[in-house]
Parts: sequence; structure tokens; C-alpha cells
Amino acid sequence: MSAVAGPLRVERHRRPVAGRLLGSGTVMVTVIYLLLLLVYALCQKNALSMTQFSDQLSNGLPLALAAAGGTLVVLMRGFDLSVAGVIALADVLTATHAADGQMGALLCLLMVVGVGLLVGAVNGFLVAYAGLQSIACTLATMIICSGAALLVLDAPGGSVPEFISDNLTGTLLAVPVPLIIALVVLFGWAVLRRTNWGVGLYALGADETAARLAGIPVRRVKFLAFCAAGALYGVAGMMLAAATSNGDPGAGTSYLLLVFAAIAIGGTTFTGGRGGLLGSMIGAATLLLLQKVLFSLGVSSFYTGIGQGLIMIAAVLIAAFSARLARRMPR
Amino acid sequence: MKEALMSGPAPHDTRTTGRSLGPEAITPLVLFGLTILLVIASRWISPNLGGFHQVAAIIVLSSFLMVVAFGQQMVVLIGGLDLSVPSLLTLGGILTFGWSTASGWSLIWILLAVLVVNGVIGALSGAGIAWLRIPPFIMTLAMGIIVYSAALGITAGTPRGHPSAALASLFTGRILGLPPIIYLMILFVIAGTALQSYTPFGRKLYALGTSPVAAHVAGLPVGWLTVATYALSAAVAGVAGFLLVGYAGGATLVMGQSYLLPSIAAVVVGGTSILGGRGTYISAVAASLLLTTFSTIISSVQILEGWRTIIYGCVILIAIAALREDLPLWLNRSLQRPSRPPPQAANAQSAQ
Amino acid sequence: MFRKHPLWGFVLGLVMAAGLVLAGLGTAARAASPKKFKIYLSLSYSGNAWQSEAANIVKALAATPPYDKLVDLKEVISGTDVQAQISAYESMIADGANGIISFPISSSGLDKAIRRGCKAGVLIWVYDGMVTEPCAYSVSYLPSGFGENTAQYLVNLLHGKGNIFLSRGVAGNMVDKRHYDGAMSVFKKYPGIHIVAEYYGMWDDQTTQLETAKALAAHPDVDGIWAQAGEDGALKAVLASGRQKLPKLTGENSNGFRLALANPAYQARGFNGVSSGSPPASAGVAFKLMMEQLVKGRKLPFHNILYPLPWVPANQVKICTGSTFENGCNAFPEGKVPDSFVDEVFNPTLVPELSIASALEGKPTPGATIQPLPPNSYFKQSPNVPGIDCNHCQAPADPYPLTKVTPFNSGT
Repeated sequence: MSAVAGPLRVERHRRPVAGRLLGSGTVMVTVIYLLLLLVYALCQKNALSMTQFSDQLSNGLPLALAAAGGTLVVLMRGFDLSVAGVIALADVLTATHAADGQMGALLCLLMVVGVGLLVGAVNGFLVAYAGLQSIACTLATMIICSGAALLVLDAPGGSVPEFISDNLTGTLLAVPVPLIIALVVLFGWAVLRRTNWGVGLYALGADETAARLAGIPVRRVKFLAFCAAGALYGVAGMMLAAATSNGDPGAGTSYLLLVFAAIAIGGTTFTGGRGGLLGSMIGAATLLLLQKVLFSLGVSSFYTGIGQGLIMIAAVLIAAFSARLARRMPR
Repeated sequence: MKEALMSGPAPHDTRTTGRSLGPEAITPLVLFGLTILLVIASRWISPNLGGFHQVAAIIVLSSFLMVVAFGQQMVVLIGGLDLSVPSLLTLGGILTFGWSTASGWSLIWILLAVLVVNGVIGALSGAGIAWLRIPPFIMTLAMGIIVYSAALGITAGTPRGHPSAALASLFTGRILGLPPIIYLMILFVIAGTALQSYTPFGRKLYALGTSPVAAHVAGLPVGWLTVATYALSAAVAGVAGFLLVGYAGGATLVMGQSYLLPSIAAVVVGGTSILGGRGTYISAVAASLLLTTFSTIISSVQILEGWRTIIYGCVILIAIAALREDLPLWLNRSLQRPSRPPPQAANAQSAQ
Repeated sequence: MFRKHPLWGFVLGLVMAAGLVLAGLGTAARAASPKKFKIYLSLSYSGNAWQSEAANIVKALAATPPYDKLVDLKEVISGTDVQAQISAYESMIADGANGIISFPISSSGLDKAIRRGCKAGVLIWVYDGMVTEPCAYSVSYLPSGFGENTAQYLVNLLHGKGNIFLSRGVAGNMVDKRHYDGAMSVFKKYPGIHIVAEYYGMWDDQTTQLETAKALAAHPDVDGIWAQAGEDGALKAVLASGRQKLPKLTGENSNGFRLALANPAYQARGFNGVSSGSPPASAGVAFKLMMEQLVKGRKLPFHNILYPLPWVPANQVKICTGSTFENGCNAFPEGKVPDSFVDEVFNPTLVPELSIASALEGKPTPGATIQPLPPNSYFKQSPNVPGIDCNHCQAPADPYPLTKVTPFNSGT
């Protein structure tokens, strides 16, 4: 950890354990997830079976990856709406331009990451160097990307190579592949957040002026955050294509709001500097589990939304107020 | 939060007086100019474009967006975002449509009732945001889902009611050759601008948007201001639904869906910053007109929908790039006017 | 932070969570219902007239004797998100469903989940749209050629020349593309037909009205409009523009549009067209076929059943006096149903059990009992449409044959 940003984080590490646990959005969202799982297990007989778990993973991974990417931008008090566009674009590219076999999958991964990086770089440039507000220019890039997705594929279809659709949603040595992918992303994040870039990201989210004064290359940190976010959206789009085994130019739309809901439930604050990728990914899993729980509770489907809305609010409340509780604990 | 004390710019009155050509005055001028240019240029595509009737039609068609954008802009002004707009617009529409039959209420009572119902729902969102500290994004998203789901359940998918002839005459009638809605919109824009710029409430919102902490320290009722803003946003979304029923003669559960992103686009293209405290309603109005004009013209161009979408995105991008904060400053300088002291926002502006 | 209510939210959140847990326990404690067929109705979104009518008639049929004692119907709405529907299918299969009847959000995205359902012995029926997974059953009008037939009808009305609008559905949607491709296969043959505006009405009356109004402002000289669902909005936009001469209009099955076609005042102003397109009745037929499979063990010779294309030209509109299609009528008087009501929810041969109350509120018709469906020979098999009802299959030599109308010939 660089000396510059050290003082900004010290506070977190000196808290007593109980306070730290309560204060961590990630821990709270995990607790909420487990609570929901308990409810689900109570009213659905095979809720805890391996297939159920594996289904949920492959269904939830695209949202989890997209939320992970979005978190990077939210951490520095930005909004990245381009997530919907990049997912759609990566999704249709996978369904139209991927070849079969290992090599095909690898090239496809490179392609979607490349597209994501490109869009992320445009966003990053416009925000960090041209000084535009993030919500405005990512709205524009989102629209442009969804237009591009329509050009690639003008209706749902295409075909995802079987290697991608089977292996990326299957298991490797009895471990679900989506879980492996999620762990790889989390591992990468664990490494990156200890670099100057990761530390700078939190520092500038917490207080941009102070970060600038402390010598953090604010523009570069922002630029790279958008790039990394774009790359993650790209992978999310590919995973979506794998899970649905076709391409759909309109696939991104439903992700736009879900991504932000997952981030908020995951304990990342929209005022910057607090939270992390793990919380957002569990937040994504929570949202998906919520659908299942409401299904098994048999709530009349017209009114499912009411339950969904209330639980989203409840989750955020529990996380936020346990954090406040933690802050009031004696040191 | 204490960080905001340091990072946020000091509260300052961002509104400019009419004397100098400040950014707040230039933005709408540039947007109106772009719109007029577009209308003129569109004659190349079809000789029927750019006529008087087309301009009148565009104003009528953009009126719903202008109304919605008013609420969205106020919310963005105080650093929030209202995602419940589509659901509340739908709710306003369903209530208007349903009440038109039930008792033959006069329009003004229906409008008032819609304002109250929507206002209460918006106030609930505002209360959650102000006092329970729920992020605006989540609070309004959840509220939107809840309202939509309740509307779906109660109507069982098919809103019932009768079209109101009086309401329809706002669009079909003619006063001095123009539909009455155009005059109403002019009044609405004037009232909205006045509320924002010339009332204590409006000034307090700018202060709150610029720095919530400073506003709190200065003794402003931050919580109540937030509640009022979200209530207002929900209420005007209801008004847009009310007007749409007049226009279309019916209500559907999806009627609000196509207004979320356009309302955000109109607000940000109009130069309002999500970091709060900057932007004017008249700019959002100009942006609504620009976006509607553009979409009218682009559908007459025979290209693939993908290209149309891409061009639409590029127009938004160009508009926000052209309206960068320092562009008006630069224009000011080149116009050789006595320049104002450079705003301290140089740092804060890139804070997103 | 302003510390106003330190623990308020926390308590509130906990209370809400606790409520959920209790609700869960309550459901778990509820005893399993006596032996009934467990059927799930999986919808996309219940937001427009079409979707809710289709869902309502399934609910009404499930409540009509004797099915009311045989069926435990549960409804799930998945929005427009394919993954939500996949997740819903998986939940239904895990819950031990006997059958799933569904409006498919995607034609190929659901294949994996459907395949798993078939393996688990779940009967899966889709209506309106189709899926490429061959183990699923479908009832659909989609390959019956709405796009090409209405396009040809419009061309004939215009004698092969004029300026037209295309009012499409949802960009990037398979159904929209099928209709559009069919229509373009016709329009391309007539150099006198100029498409001056093309826009997306989202299959929604209001959106279509707004978009049509925009196009009318740019092109007041339009001669015809080819519309998908939402045609009633296109009509309203035309009427609101105040023009004397009305363009020809082809569209789908809304009651408002049918009434306008039969309106002599509009006809005098040159209004003409045909009402065709997607019938919500296909949901009822799919449900009844599924029930006959479950109850009577009915065997079907093929999986994809073609629902014949509804076709009501202006001179064949006949107003009903009762609350269903009787004696060849096909529209309802104004005020009896909303303008957006889709008339093709009824079919006297296949779903005679239904009434307006069934379509609007999901209620069974008093006194009605389920009538058996015609024998297998009555039903026609859908042709192959690659990407819609089959993968890697061969489309017929002429994918867009005209079935309802003969081409206009400029020479005669």
C-alpha cells in the first residue's frame, strides 16, 4: 500500500472486530443472502441441491460481473450507464463471431474484452480528460453501443458455439465454471486494489481534492477504472450469450437498473470511496435469489414487484444502519 | 458526510443575472440554435420538413418530455436521480383515465387528485432518501417497481376508463391556429423557471445541490427540501400522464416506459450536473425540443435502425461536449466581455 | 451525516425481513393441495392489452368446469428479461410442475431450460411465439404470413404506388423482423411504393400514436400505413392531424381499428384496410391442448401447430351483439371494450367457452363447460422457419407465400 493513501484507510483497520463486521457492507449483504437462502430452503424442498446452486450461478454470473464492473465506477462517485450497451454488443458478437473449440473461446474472450476496453477507454477519456459528467457521456455511449449491437444482429438469434455455451455454464472437476470465473475476477481485484491504482481509486472516491493534493494521478486512475469496468461488461455479455446460447441485441436493457440495484445492495455507497466488488457480486446473487424466494412464496405475480421493492429497500436499510451502528461503537 | 465538506465547492449562487452571457444563458441558446439549424437542415431530406406545422407538432410531441424533465431536473439538481418517473407517469395516466368515467369529475379535480396521489408517493420516496438515507437510485427504483406492480395488480393488466373529450381538446382544439397545449406549455415553462430561479424554494435547492452539508449548516431544512423535490417530481410525472391520456385517449401500463432515459438525456444534455447545484430548467426544455426534433427527422431517413440509434447517441455526445462548462467561458472571452472571475469549480467540475 | 433517527431504519429493515421469514414459514407449513395438475403460466410482461388478454383467457379456462377441479394454475411474470424467464422455468421444473404454458420471450434463449424440463417430464407449451427446441409444443400464427399478406393488401389498395409509413414493433425483436421481412418481400416488387418513414411503436398504442404523429408532421402526403400492433394509435394520430383524406391502414386486431374500418364516415374519407395479426386465442388453444394431453392422453402428430391468420378486411367487419364472437361477428360496439382490446381473443370453434369477462378479468363464463377440441386432422403443422421454430433447418422454397390475397398486377 502506498504511503500516500495510507492514512485514509487506517481508520477502518483499527476498529474492533464486531464493528468491522457490522460496518462492512459485504458482510451485511452476505447475511441478507443467507437469510433469503434460509427462507428459500424452508419453502422449496430441493433448494440447496447442487443443480439449483449451479443454475443460479450460471444465471447470475452476467449480472454479477456487470455489477463488479459498475462498482469500479461507482467507487469514484461516477455512473456508468454504458453497461447495458456493452453487454448487448458483447452478447451479439459472441453469437455471431465466435468460433468453436478452445481457441475460439479464447479469441472470443479477447474480442469481448477488447470491445469493452474500447468503450471503457472512450468513457474514461471523456470523463477523465475531457471533463464531461459520467452519467451524460455513458448514456451516449450506451445508446451508440446498442445501435452497434443492432447492426451486428438485427433480431435475436445467431448461434453460440457449443464449446462456449456448454463449458462456461458447466463444471470443471466438479466445481461450477461460473464460480471459477467469479473467483478469478475477485482474485484479480484483490491484487489490483493493493496497487497504487486500487488505493487511488478509493482515495479519489472518498475525497477527490485530497487525493489530487496527495499526488494521486486522478485522471489516470479514473481512465483505467472505466477501462476495467468496460472489460468486465464485455465478459458479462459473453457469459450471457453462453447462458442463453443465443444473441439478443436487446439483452442489455434489463441490466441497466439491475446493476445499480446490485451495487447498492452490496453495500457500495453512491457517495464514493466505500464498498467493493465482492459485495456487489453477492448483491447480484441476492437479487436473483429474491426472484426465486418470491416465486416459492407464491406471491401473486402481479404483486411480486411490491415484495421485490420492499426487500431492496430493507436490504439497503439494514446495511446502511449496521454501518452506522458500527461507527458508534467505542474504539 | 464530512468528506463532502472538503470536496464540494462552496455554496454560491450559480444563477446569473441577465446582464452577462453566463453559462446558464448560453446553454439554452446553443440548444435552441441547434434545434433551429436541424429543422432548417431537414429540408434537404424532405421538402415537407421544417414547415410551420412540423414545428408546431414537434412542440406538442415534446411537451410530455418537457413536463417530465422538470421534475427530473429538480431531482438531479439536488444530486439525486428519479427512476420512478415511468411508473408514476403510468399511475397518473391510469388514474386520469379511470376517474374520467367513474363520476364524470371535472378535469381540474382529477388533475388535483393525481397531483396529490403522486405527490404523496413522491414524498414517501423523498422521506426515505432524506431521513433513512437510502440512496436515491435505490429508493426511486424500488418505489417505481412497487407502484408499477400495484398498478398492474389493481388494473389486472388492462386499465379501464373513458377518454375525456375536454382533455383531448387541449390537443385537438385551436387557439389562434395553435393547439391550446402549446400555450399551456409556455406557461408551464415560465412557471417552472420562475419556481427554480426566483423563489426562495428554488434558491435553497441550488444551495442544497451545491453542498448538502453547507446547506445543513446554514440552517436550511434539508430533509423537507428533499421531500418536497421528490414530491414535485412525482407530481409532474403524474401531470405528464394526465396530458398523455388527453393526447392518446387512453392509458396503458407501459405508457411511461419510454420516458426514463429521455428524461435523463434531456436533463444532462441541458447541462444539469448529477453532482448537483448546476443547471436550469429552460436548458432541459431546449434539450427536450432538440432530442424530439432529431428523432422526428431521423425516422424519415432510410437507414438501418442500428445506424439511427448510433447517430442519436452521437448527437447526445456532441451536444454535451459542445456544452462543456468552459465553452461558454471561452465564448465569453472571445466576445470580449468583461469576464467574471473564473469559477472555483475548476476542480469540482471534474469530480465525477 | 445528519443523525436524526439513529436506529429507525435498522429496526424497520429488520421488521421487513422478519415479515418475509414468517411469510416463508407460513407457506412451508401449508399442506400440499390434493392431487391436481400443477400448471404454471409464464408470461413476459403483463403490460399491454394483448398480453393480459392471453393470460386472462388461460386463467378463465383453468377456472371453467371441469378444469377448475383438475388444475392448480400459478402465474409468473418475468418482464422482458430472458434470464428471468429461464430462472422462472427452472423454478417451475424444480417445483414439480406437470405443465408450463408460456409466452416465450426468446425463440432460442430458452432452449436449455426447456430441454431440461422435457427431460424431467414437464409438458411445455408456448403460444404466439415459437421456440427452436423441438421437444416443446407451440400454437402460433407467426409463420402464417401476417407481414407479406397485409403488405400485399396495402399495395393493392394503393394500386402499386404511393408514400407509405412502416410502423414497426420492437427493434431487434424476432417477431418484428419476421413481419418486416415478409412485408419487404412484397414492397420491394413495387417501385412505385416509397417508404418515407419507418419507426418503432413498441406494439403500444400510445407510443405508436406519438411516433406516427412525428412522421405525419414530416410527411403529410402519406398514402398508406403498414402497421404492426399499435395500429389504433396510428389511426388516432391520423385523425388528430385533422386531414380530410385518410390514408389506407393495415394493422392488427384492436377493436378500435375494426370499428374505424367499418365506420362509413371514415370510409367516405378514403379509409380502408385490413385487420389481421396476432390472436391471443392461441394461448387458450395451447392450454386446452395441453390439458387434453394430460387428462385424456391425447397424442399429437406434430409439435408446432399453426394458428390460421386472422383476416378481416373493412367490408367484412361485423359488430357483435353479445359478449363473444357469434354468427360470424368479429368486433364489439364502442364502450363495451376498450379501443385497445384485441378482438381475436375469441374463436367459436376452438375456444367457445370464453366471453368478454374472461378476456378482461380472467373470469370463467357462467354456465360454460370445457368443450373438446377438434381431432388432429383439423390442425395444421407450422412450416419451418429457421431461428424461430427450428435450428439448422431448411426453410421452404418460398418463405413468404401469399395466402390471403392475390398480388396486384399493374398491367391489368
